[in-house]
Amino acid sequence: MILAILKKDLKLFFLDRKGVLLTFLLPIILITLFAFAFGGIGGATKESKPIKLLVVDNDNTKESNAIILKLDTLAGIHLIATELKEGVALVKKGKYVGVLIFEKGFQNAIISGKKLPMELKYDEAREIEMGMLQPVLMQELMSSIGETKVKSSITEYLDKNFTGLNQKIKDKILTDTNADNSLVSTMSLKMTSLVKEDKNKANIGLIQAVAGTAIMMLLFSITAVGGGLLDEKEAGTLKRLLYAPVKPNDILFAKMGTALLLSILQLLVMFIFSWLVFGLPIFKDITALLVLIVAVAFAVSSFGIFLVAIAKTRQQLQGLSTIIIMLMSAIGGSMIPLFIMPAIMQKIAVISVNYWGIQGFYDIFWRNLPLIDILPKIMVLLGIGIVMTIISTQLFKRNILTSINR
Amino acid sequence: MIQVSNLSKSFNTVKAVNDISFTINKGEIFGLLGPNGAGKSTTINMLSTILKSDGGQIIIDGIDVNKNPNTCKKHIGVVPQEISLYEDLSAYENLLFWGRLYDIPILELKNKINSILELIGLSDRKKDLIKTYSGGMKRRINIAAAILHSPKVLFMDEPTVGIDPQSRNRIFEVIETLNKQGMTIVYTTHYMEEVERLCNRIAIIDSGKIIAQGTQSELQNIANIKEAIVFEFESLSASKGQEFQSKIDHKSILNKNKIIVECTTKDLPEIIIESNNLELIVKDIVVKKANLESIFLSLTGKKLRD
Repeated sequence: MILAILKKDLKLFFLDRKGVLLTFLLPIILITLFAFAFGGIGGATKESKPIKLLVVDNDNTKESNAIILKLDTLAGIHLIATELKEGVALVKKGKYVGVLIFEKGFQNAIISGKKLPMELKYDEAREIEMGMLQPVLMQELMSSIGETKVKSSITEYLDKNFTGLNQKIKDKILTDTNADNSLVSTMSLKMTSLVKEDKNKANIGLIQAVAGTAIMMLLFSITAVGGGLLDEKEAGTLKRLLYAPVKPNDILFAKMGTALLLSILQLLVMFIFSWLVFGLPIFKDITALLVLIVAVAFAVSSFGIFLVAIAKTRQQLQGLSTIIIMLMSAIGGSMIPLFIMPAIMQKIAVISVNYWGIQGFYDIFWRNLPLIDILPKIMVLLGIGIVMTIISTQLFKRNILTSINR
Repeated sequence: MIQVSNLSKSFNTVKAVNDISFTINKGEIFGLLGPNGAGKSTTINMLSTILKSDGGQIIIDGIDVNKNPNTCKKHIGVVPQEISLYEDLSAYENLLFWGRLYDIPILELKNKINSILELIGLSDRKKDLIKTYSGGMKRRINIAAAILHSPKVLFMDEPTVGIDPQSRNRIFEVIETLNKQGMTIVYTTHYMEEVERLCNRIAIIDSGKIIAQGTQSELQNIANIKEAIVFEFESLSASKGQEFQSKIDHKSILNKNKIIVECTTKDLPEIIIESNNLELIVKDIVVKKANLESIFLSLTGKKLRD
């Protein structure tokens, strides 16, 4: 008897595709993502993409050029030359992890053994990348600067004491000389966070917690609100609405409007709560914050309605939305901060609505960017909303309205 | 009021409605009678504009439904088969919502709601949530929501499913009142007694086709069904019974001391005279009228609830 019930239950379980997906596939995908993020898988392999680092060479000497060329040969770093002002702006916008600056007098400082005029300005929001970059950078700098210092000392000595020495012999001596890193053991790299000077800057963990969680939970709650459309279909009230002089799309747009207003309200409540309880500086740029909240709410509510339009029943919606929202949140940085993800995952993240919202909130609270600099992300969010609305309209007609009349 | 010509609708390979035509006059209660899956609801969905036909034409109050569905919607009301109300809203809130969809000015709408609640006998419960209502009460609010905008035509799709006889009678009274006020009503059901009580004319629909239409007596003629009169005698021998059968000019069946004669009440005097001539003492006479059930059976060869 027990065996018969057990067999029946197993059969029913495996017939339920969504249940199987939730039980096996979703955890496998989440484990893979977390392994990428926390386990370093793919992080230090030869195939992993190098970290892009801006470099400003204000010294522009033989020595500074040689060190830059050497750094660029490293597998983990890709150097991009730029001007100081532009480089700082790009890092502040979160485009690059940092900018390495070789100040004037760098070559002279090597030769004279003075403190090296070099600085690494970086984005603290990407401290994990910095953590990976710093040791590689320091090791290579010490090695290159040590070698340069020794060679320049030997050259100076040879030029002074052995005038007219054959160049081939000089080169041989320099090639055979092993740089001693102890010569530059006192070398230190000045590290400056580009947003550190702002006293109103929010805690990065708090921004991640608020933005990541708010968007993920918003997706769940809006899907539940949109699911009311399927409840109305099952209860017959949707059909009754169609008997009235109401256009079918108006019903969908009304539901979207409800979802949008509730989304805005939910985000406002979450940010006000974070301000009151955790001191998140929401009034730092309230205009930018409100515009971003509306854009996020529009994108998320449209996405929620899109999920509703795909599903034909409440049960379908529950299974589908759990899988998609969990994946989007994991990929988009709601569950795991994107800056600790490998480069490939950071590239994939752009397909997620969570990504654009979270990065927008980082821009406001962490990077202190003005509204004009956040506009591209806002445009993407609005674009997602518009595309999702168009698709939802078509799916609503095909999946929901058609089935009402059968 | 309604002209339907050569209306058809298929779902994939299934012909749900197959080239049907009928006319409904202003002020009529028109019954659409047929078993489940006959095509009644598909027909109502097309008439009420929410389903596009594959072919044919529907004119309601001079408006082509396919060409001007939104104009048409203002003139029609639909009572759906399901109780399509918001369970967590009160009856009054429900009616207010459904009425607002027809752009009725708020004051006019509020007055209308009160008068309709009066009509359906639920004024005292108007503030109660729908989920606290009995099935019969919900059905009445279901009707009320469809008549707030005073439609010229009311489509009622099996509006009495699953309710007690008392509530059913109350609904019949509401329908009759609305009809007296001039509303044309299209009533679909598979309950014979409802059609017999309410409808002026009936269309019998089966497998997507209208098999017959007309008044009940017209359908009776079409089906060639007569009334049956049962004569019960004090005592009746087989030979006397057979002799009686041979004397009357009607089909009859002898069953113990009863003889069932297929005839009309007009033939009754003639048959009683014959029984007197044979010195048979009539104990009881029962007239069994032909009903829609027998007409439907005769026309389709199957029972209505098959």
